[in-house]
Amino acid sequence: MAQEEHASPAAVAALVPELRAICGQDGVLTDLSRRRTYESDSLTHHRAVPGVVVLPTTAEQVAEVIGLCTSTGVPFVPRGAGTGLSAGALPHTGGVLLVTSRMRRIIEIDPENECAVVEPGVANLDITHAAAPYGYHYAPDPSSQQVCSVGGNVAENSGGAHCLKYGFTVNHVRGLEIVLPTGETVDLGGKAADAPGYDLIGAFIGSEGTLGVATRITVNLTRDPARIVTLLAAFTSVDAGGEAVSSIIASGVLPSAIEMMDSLSIEAAEKAVACEYPEGAAAVLVVELDGPAEEVDTQIQEVVRLCAAAGSFETRTASSAEERALIWKGRKSAFAAVGRISPAYIVQDGVVPRTALPDVLRRIAELSVNSGIRVANVFHAGDGNLHPLVLFDDSEPGATERAEEVSGAILDLCIEHGGSITGEHGVGVDKVCAMPRMYGPDDLDTFQRFRRAFDPSGIANPDKLLPTPRLCGERPGVHKDVHPLVASGKAELF
Amino acid sequence: MRVTIADEPAVKDCGLRKGSPEDAVGGLVPGHVARPSDTAALGRVLRAASEHGLTVVARGGGTAQDWGGPLRSLDLVLDLGDLVWIDHNADDLVVEVGAGTPLAELRASLAASGQRLAHDPVRLGGTVGGALATGVSGPRRLLSGTLRDLVIGMTVVRADGTVARSGGRVVKNVAGYDLAKLHTGGYGTLGVISSAAFRLHPVPHALRVLSARMTSTDRAERALAALRTAAVEPAAVELERPAEAPVRLHVVLEGTPDGLRPRVHATAEALGGEPTVGEELPDGWGLFPTEGTLALLTTPPAESVAAATLVGEHCKAWGISAHVRGSAPSGTLWVSFPPGTGAEQIAAVADSMRTGRRTFTLLRSEAHVRAAGIDPWGTIPGLALMRAVKDSFDPDHRLAPGRFAGGI
Amino acid sequence: MTDRSTETGGDREQIFGDLLNDCVHCGFCLPTCPTHVLWGQEMDSPRGRIHLMEQMHTEDVLTEAAVGHFDNCLGCLACVSSCPSGVAYDALIEHTRHTVEEQHRRPLSERALRGAVFALFPHRNRLRLLRGPLRAYQAGGASRLVRRSRLLDRLSPTLATMERIAPPLSSPPPALPELVPAVGRARARVGMLVGCVQGAFFPEVNTATARVLALEGCDVVIPRTQGCCGALSGHAGRLSEATGFVQALVEVFEKADVERVVVNSAGCGSSMKHMDRTLAEAGNDPTWVRRARAVSEKVVDLTEFLAELEPRAERHPLPLHVAYHDACHLSHGQQITSAPRRLLGAIPQLELSDPPNKEICCGSAGVYNLFEPQTAAELGDRKGQDVVATGAQVLVSGNPGCSLQISSALERTGVSIAVTHTARVLDASLRGLTPEQLLRPGRSRPRRR
Repeated sequence: MAQEEHASPAAVAALVPELRAICGQDGVLTDLSRRRTYESDSLTHHRAVPGVVVLPTTAEQVAEVIGLCTSTGVPFVPRGAGTGLSAGALPHTGGVLLVTSRMRRIIEIDPENECAVVEPGVANLDITHAAAPYGYHYAPDPSSQQVCSVGGNVAENSGGAHCLKYGFTVNHVRGLEIVLPTGETVDLGGKAADAPGYDLIGAFIGSEGTLGVATRITVNLTRDPARIVTLLAAFTSVDAGGEAVSSIIASGVLPSAIEMMDSLSIEAAEKAVACEYPEGAAAVLVVELDGPAEEVDTQIQEVVRLCAAAGSFETRTASSAEERALIWKGRKSAFAAVGRISPAYIVQDGVVPRTALPDVLRRIAELSVNSGIRVANVFHAGDGNLHPLVLFDDSEPGATERAEEVSGAILDLCIEHGGSITGEHGVGVDKVCAMPRMYGPDDLDTFQRFRRAFDPSGIANPDKLLPTPRLCGERPGVHKDVHPLVASGKAELF
Repeated sequence: MRVTIADEPAVKDCGLRKGSPEDAVGGLVPGHVARPSDTAALGRVLRAASEHGLTVVARGGGTAQDWGGPLRSLDLVLDLGDLVWIDHNADDLVVEVGAGTPLAELRASLAASGQRLAHDPVRLGGTVGGALATGVSGPRRLLSGTLRDLVIGMTVVRADGTVARSGGRVVKNVAGYDLAKLHTGGYGTLGVISSAAFRLHPVPHALRVLSARMTSTDRAERALAALRTAAVEPAAVELERPAEAPVRLHVVLEGTPDGLRPRVHATAEALGGEPTVGEELPDGWGLFPTEGTLALLTTPPAESVAAATLVGEHCKAWGISAHVRGSAPSGTLWVSFPPGTGAEQIAAVADSMRTGRRTFTLLRSEAHVRAAGIDPWGTIPGLALMRAVKDSFDPDHRLAPGRFAGGI
Repeated sequence: MTDRSTETGGDREQIFGDLLNDCVHCGFCLPTCPTHVLWGQEMDSPRGRIHLMEQMHTEDVLTEAAVGHFDNCLGCLACVSSCPSGVAYDALIEHTRHTVEEQHRRPLSERALRGAVFALFPHRNRLRLLRGPLRAYQAGGASRLVRRSRLLDRLSPTLATMERIAPPLSSPPPALPELVPAVGRARARVGMLVGCVQGAFFPEVNTATARVLALEGCDVVIPRTQGCCGALSGHAGRLSEATGFVQALVEVFEKADVERVVVNSAGCGSSMKHMDRTLAEAGNDPTWVRRARAVSEKVVDLTEFLAELEPRAERHPLPLHVAYHDACHLSHGQQITSAPRRLLGAIPQLELSDPPNKEICCGSAGVYNLFEPQTAAELGDRKGQDVVATGAQVLVSGNPGCSLQISSALERTGVSIAVTHTARVLDASLRGLTPEQLLRPGRSRPRRR
């Protein structure tokens, strides 16, 4: 493959003068200590120092940089805000790291067409802030929404707590200007929906930077609902909480979000933000309903009744923004808060059919007991997306390995129950060797063909998303030995 | 005698027969018709077709064989009428369905559990596979999206017979490329859809349809603007502009009887005048006329009324008429011309509408329009990339050659 | 090299390492970091700086580039507020700056500028000289150091602004007595910090503070011997300098025998709440650390203190549209955001607004605007526009540095918005002044009621 021959630090160094001509002196970082600050995204145990970092400010610069990569065979890795959790933005030591953090103009808020046009580096929540005066918001709301970039959301097809009702990024993008790995620019869709031709926008979203870089994005704006009510329900067991979820869904009510936390994650959140969830709760559900006022009022009563029937010992409802924020505070902080109860942790992102939740949670609890590794559960219960946090002390010999085993076993459980290895974090590098556990060789071959249609020379975010024998060895999915990227000197693994 | 696909042992049990004039598509009679009983058999047929270099078209209910551009060649029709199965997991609000399953059968089956595929079909008698391949969604698309938004997994057989799956059976899944998006609306030119998994929604407790006549385009625009800000959460806002009558707006609300009362009130206020209020969808809701040339006009949604009006004006100028209907807040409008409308006039209207940010695509062309060589698609951004995608899945261009944009 | 062989030095490095490990690299700090907002690059974000600190810590290298990015940090601590993992960035940057000061040799011109700033700012009496016309100061043959550093060039615009926003009263307010007795029965005995910049440039804020405290029933002790709190030096990593200031201040307030030490300058208060940490970081012995802790525990911001008290004095109406600016060292440094809003909101007829992007620093950041004037000006301009967007007549802040910085930015926008301190607005309400009396320079008398 092309990048095998050309991807060397020397080849990248040779590009620097031209990159500076494109992006300006301060748009190209070559100093080692600076480059090292880009060595990982939010999944820090995969690290590689990029050959060079470029910070373009326009789509034209992106196209020229990628054009240069194409003509020299040097690989590039796109990066947004660096909040990804699958090492999708892990740099290539012999490649260009293309960072969109300086492309953060909101080009247009168009309330009449109910859309916004933005550059890829704009933070997700900034669209909502800009649209708020018109009574609109941008619906996909990943937990990192104040930080994560829309370009990153497009690459990962990000969801969020409210995707239960509103869907994912792919359901909210109308138009994309893309710089292809060949350096060409295509402008797909726009303010008009349902552009004729293949749905390349739909296929591009979630492609994890392997098909090119989105440089201008037209997103739907969603009308602010007339009423939002948030319910906190506390249960004495995770099972009871799961039962409540099932009965809410079965009743025909479609909440905008159903989130669940178990006692360990409640403990962490309590330590971090003092969210004051009911004492003694083994599980809490956060259920949010939005829509026309009267519909929401009717439905919330039904939900409260169903929670009570499933055994909730305390429920709180909140409709003012401040009260709702208080309920959400615990849930939203849970991820990072776990750092307060454990020196290290692995976060998983498996999905199971909702009906399999109780069984899978029981099996996770068994895994935890048998291994002596604590597992905190925070998850989007409404759509079966689990975020088990596998807690361990990395200073204790063997603990990391045991935690990785538990983490892998949880993924196996998800696949065994007909689920997915990733619901929203993406495959990246982290799960690339698990792909063969979910897809057969023919499925993967078909993915590969599609990728090559966009990127014939294989320079766009290589070694991500699709497994190769070089990456995953003879037995795909088992990566206890030295990671091939490390062995080949392309990455340092921490 | 020449060896044909029918002689291949691998396709012995694949329901192979010779083609007849009833199997013709756009005047082309296929040499053979196969009726595979499952995905594996479908794969075997396609592998054999590949070895014989045959051009192939899939057929479900046969209701859209005249959609898209004219076929260049046809050797084999794949009749998917036996790929009929429904695997419904009601508690998960998920269903997986064989491509040959009639939509009506699926709807009835799901309704028994109080659930539905939130999609208004546009043709009577169609199948799941056909609906996906043509990728068109009816009026109720504002709450849960279009058909492509409801697909969570798909199994497709490639031109070389390889069976490939993407997605899965869970509503949330970002592992691998979302190839189902390409096949939805791909007219069977990238592969043959064998089955698909969908996310489902509960059937709403109650429904209201409000219809109002707009006395002017200004009023229609004001009404649509008022609806945007009314926060009534409509499932559909359908704009209708018959050839010789004023614009009408139809709004569908779904919810609970109690919740609907104030929403109906607020909607009526936004529409102005005295709209009629129905508790059921009218007959033929969302269905396209079965005859005549049919086009899809897309426009920035704020210009829906203007675009519909403009079509009318252009038609008038060319001495023809057209009925325009579609989802105003999505800016997707269907333009249907009466049977027999002249090719030259349709081409002229299409040309004049294809400006700025609008597109105008002939979904179904009558035989004389096709014969006149009118390009159904116009200029499409990203066509080179679409060709590259086609080449990667069907390098010999044997799947429905000619049906898609740019002659793909 | 620092002396890392001593046990305390090693401990501090160990603690530093542990604190670094708290960062999970989530990036939540990025959008609230002023330099990341300006430049959009990792090294100028807290997450990136922590990475650079890790390089410094684990590999013991301190590159020129890294020092530049540490210097770029305003120390506004917005990242501390936005961090879900509770990373103590304040402690990290303080330690880092100390290390930089000890290990890194700056170019001569930079050293001269720093020397000049720290010879001037922590000294109220020297600062007060600047209040007169600049000429007088220049003619006065002041420190050669100050002139050689070209500090005056940087100060001139700032001074010009100071003159405009803090116009000389027809006669300067009389010096505060060492004890201002409570009006009515005393319910607390509190000490009060005068502050260097506050004392030199905004003496009327101190007068207002003492008056409000007295009107609310406090005996206010204002020791004349008090000096600088050491915050400016401490934040810049000049720990031995800071130690001197802190020890002197601790002694002063130990002697004052007060229940609380009230501070009306956010930057000072934020630093005074952890004088023990400053002394420990500087390697002082445990006795001093304990003494400093005892005083630190008494430190409260004026608004924090008043919000806890049951209001006693009558609030007279003050029909004014006020925008409240969160000084970083109140909101992020001390987590005080609601107390000042509650106090202002309780004034009848006063309308209160928040500027957009309220969590972003105005660019003042202690003496940052003197070291990095261009960055500071860019941030000031953003803040100025955000303040204008509120449509308020007055901007209120709880920190003198912010007041100077934002006034100067508002000048540039051309929109006339007055800037004042929370204490002065409260004072005006308690005394029944009119908005005009509050905002007009000159002697103000209570209106007839």
